[in-house]
Order: sequence, then structure tokens, then C-alpha cells
Amino acid sequence: MPFAPNPELGNRIITLMAALVLVLQIAAVGQRRIVSSIRIFAVQSFLLGSIAAVIAYFNQASHIYIAALLTVFLKAGLLPRLLERLVERIGIRREIDPLINVPLSILIAGCLTLLGYVVAESFYHPEETSARAALGHNTLAVAIALFLIGFFTMVNRRKALTQVLGLLSLENGLFLAAISLTYGMPLVVEIGIFFDVLVAVMVLGILVFRIGETFDSMDVSKLRKLRE
Amino acid sequence: MTEVLTNSALQLVLLLLVAPLLSGMIKTLKARLQTRCGPGILQSYRDILKLLRKGMVIPETASWIFSAAPYMVFGTATLVGLMIPMTTTRAPLSLFGGVLAVVYLLALGRFFLALGGLDTGSSFGGLGSSREMTISAIAEPAMMLAIFTVALGANSTNLSEMARIAVTQSWRFLAPSQMLAFAALFIVLIAETGRIPVDNPATHLELTMIHEAMILEYSGPYLALIEWASSIKQLVLMTLLVNTFFPFGLSSDWTVRTVGLGLVFYLAKLLLLACLVVLVETTNAKLRLFRVPELLMVAFILGALALISTFLF
Repeated sequence: MPFAPNPELGNRIITLMAALVLVLQIAAVGQRRIVSSIRIFAVQSFLLGSIAAVIAYFNQASHIYIAALLTVFLKAGLLPRLLERLVERIGIRREIDPLINVPLSILIAGCLTLLGYVVAESFYHPEETSARAALGHNTLAVAIALFLIGFFTMVNRRKALTQVLGLLSLENGLFLAAISLTYGMPLVVEIGIFFDVLVAVMVLGILVFRIGETFDSMDVSKLRKLRE
Repeated sequence: MTEVLTNSALQLVLLLLVAPLLSGMIKTLKARLQTRCGPGILQSYRDILKLLRKGMVIPETASWIFSAAPYMVFGTATLVGLMIPMTTTRAPLSLFGGVLAVVYLLALGRFFLALGGLDTGSSFGGLGSSREMTISAIAEPAMMLAIFTVALGANSTNLSEMARIAVTQSWRFLAPSQMLAFAALFIVLIAETGRIPVDNPATHLELTMIHEAMILEYSGPYLALIEWASSIKQLVLMTLLVNTFFPFGLSSDWTVRTVGLGLVFYLAKLLLLACLVVLVETTNAKLRLFRVPELLMVAFILGALALISTFLF
């Protein structure tokens, strides 16, 4: 091995960025404007891509670079652009109204983070793994928290578009868990997931657009009318 | 002994003189960022001097609390200022529980300010007091949680001890717990100093004001004292923020060179933080009053997470 970067430093950087991702996720729960939520998602995805790149650098696993690039390009660039265009076309800039009020939602997000930490604790055995393999292991808690909060966002929101955003941040959690646990899944799997998400967002985008056209609103609870 | 005395004297002078300068600086920077000309940096000094020379109007309904409040507010703010390390790691004063005393002395000042607002019986004063208390009820626990995170790292609630430990590990702020705590404390700083997402310091619009509503009945020297005290409080909170999280340049011994260097570093850090505050103030709109608890709730959760993650990472 010609050059081995210090894993301790890598660990610090990754942990810091994971914490930032978590802060952004909690900020997204407290956010009321759809456009800001989309931007928060973009920044969060960019940070995730950076985490992947750092892991790739410190583990010298070049195929993760491709995953990192794809993340930055698709999730931080293309998807937010698509969603913003969708928002513009439907012409909603109104505030998101969650089912549970915002302070309580944030409190619940905090509790979910705690749950993430508790769950991740049982996976954490620093003495049994080498320093390189342990790189980013402590981000598992953040990953689980992202997953849970994403799920909560999906349940908590009425509007279809914000539910899509919840799904996306849930997927971000999955991605973080994958790269932090396995330091890089096989590239084929990564690419598969990326295109899955891309297609999902496109389909959901069309669906959201149609819901907006049919009901003049994006409130998914209005879909109940379809029964009659 | 002389060391302690010079240290106290230096810090007191710094506290009293830098605080209005910092307020003026923030005002000027904000004006420049909004392409206005703005008042000069020295405007806060001029305001205080002018107010000190003016006569006072005291409402007939006011009791002694109205007159006591400005002194209490000023006294607690200055006392707290002496308990926080500014240029050296040793703060001149260290009372009771260190950081706990800082938080609760600030609370005492706020309590008297709120009483002063209520005392005259005018509706605006009461309105401002009730709003201030609503906000501080959430801001205070958030502040405690964030500060405890730092205290936990130093194994002490004594601020001098905390600063001494912090100097030995100057890259500690990269740890996620420190960063979360910084974010929480920054939101608390915005709320406590009445900056824009929470309160607008530049307005006297009845519907939105908090701090200005409480001090509406004050005039002359009392008003000067209160304004001065609130700029000292702002300086104290900003010092707490820069020196506990970014302890660069804090001198641990007492020589002219290191203290001078410490002073330069300290002012530079303050300036940077002021820029950050100005940036936040200019890019955000004021929140509706009922939305403010949401923002503070974020600070609270961040503080709680910071405290939790010190145990986990």
C-alpha cells in the first residue's frame, strides 16, 4: 500500500458530516415551506455524497467514488431540480401542514434519533474490528435515525409531494447505513438503487401532478373520494 | 494578588467598552450588507452618553421595582461578564457553580427586566414581559443542555477550568457533540439577544416587539443602563460561544505578549461571530411569534442530542 491516510482523521470527518446530516434532517422536520425542504434535501444529499467520497478515500475503494459522484449528481442536482420544477408547475408555494404540530414533531424526531442510537449500540463492537473497517461505523446510529425520521415524515405529512421528500430522506438513511456498514456495496447494487429512486421520483412526480390536477390540492386524504 | 486585580480590571474595562462597540459593529455591518449607509460604529457610545445626560420621566404608577430593575439588569450582566474567560483562561470571578451561576444570573436579570416592564401597568410592558418569559422558558433549558455538553468534556462546571481543558484540545470542535451544542447555543444567542428570526432590535412596531416593549416606559439614564446592559449581555453570550467552542489564542499564563495575542484573537473571533449573526439576520425574515417556540424547540433538541452523543461517539 503506497499511501495510507490516517483512519482516525477520516473517522472524525465522517462523524462530523453525519452529525450535520442529522441536523439537516431535524431542520427538515421543522420546515414549513416546500421549497426549503427540497433545498435541505439537496444539501443533505450533497453531504452524503461527500461522506461516501471520504470513505472511498480512506478505504482506497475506488468504486465508491462512482457511488459518491452519482449521489451528488442525481440526488443533490437532478432530483431537487425535478421536484422544484414540479412545485412550480403545480403552483403551490403554500406552507406544509403536518398532522402533528411542529414542536411536537421535532420532539418526536429527537426521540427517534435516540431510538436510532439505542438500536445502533448493539451493532457497535470497536474492539473486534480493525481501525479501517470501523471507519464510519458510528454513523450507523445517524443512518437509522434518518431512516426513522424519514418514515415519520411520510406518515406525518398530508401533501403528496412532502411524502415523496420523506421517502427520499428515508432512502438517504439507507444509503448511509449501506456505506457505513459495508464500506461500499457492490457497484451494481448501488446503481440499481439509484435508478430505482430516480424512477420512483419520476412516477411519483407524475402521480402528484395528476392528484393536483384532479383535486386542485395535493392533500392525499382527498383520495378517499375515489371510492364513491 | 495584583495579577487577579489587573485581570479583573482589564476584563471589566473590556466588558464595558467593547460591548457597545460590538452592538455598533453589528448595526453597521448589517446596514452595509443591505447597501445602506447606516450609523457609524461609535453610534452606540453616543446613544448611551446622550441618554445618560438626559432627564427621566418616571410613570406615576411605578414602584421601587421600576427604579431597581435597571441596576439589577446592569449588575447581573456585568457580574456574569466577569465570570467568563475573555482573553486568558482564568476568569477573574468564579462563583457558586460556575456555568450554572452564569445561566441563572442572566435569568435573574431577565426576571427583573420583566418585572420592570410589568410594574408600570402599561399594557405594552406586560405584553413584552409575557413574551420574553415565554421565549426564555424554552431557551434556558436549551442553553443548559448545550453548556453541559461542554462541561461534561471538561468534567467541571467551572468556566476557567472548562477553558483550560478546551485550550489543550483545540480541534475538539470537530466532534459532533460540540457542533450540535454550538448550533443549539447559537440559536439561543439569537433568541436571548433579540435578533431577527426571534425579535427585531430595530423596530418599535407594537405587534412584533419583545425587548423594546418591556423597556418602553424607560427613559434617560435608566434607558442608557438597560441598553448598555443588553449589549453587555450580548457580548457575554458571544464570548461564551467563541471561547468555549473555539478556544484558539486563549492565553494560559499572564504575560503581556500572550495576553495581547489573546486579545487580538478574541476580537477577531468576536468579529467573525458578529458577521455570522449579521448574515443570519439579513437573510432571514422575522418569525411569527407563535413560530418562535418551534425554533427554540430545534435548539432544545440539538442540545439534547449533543449531550446524548457525548456518551455515544
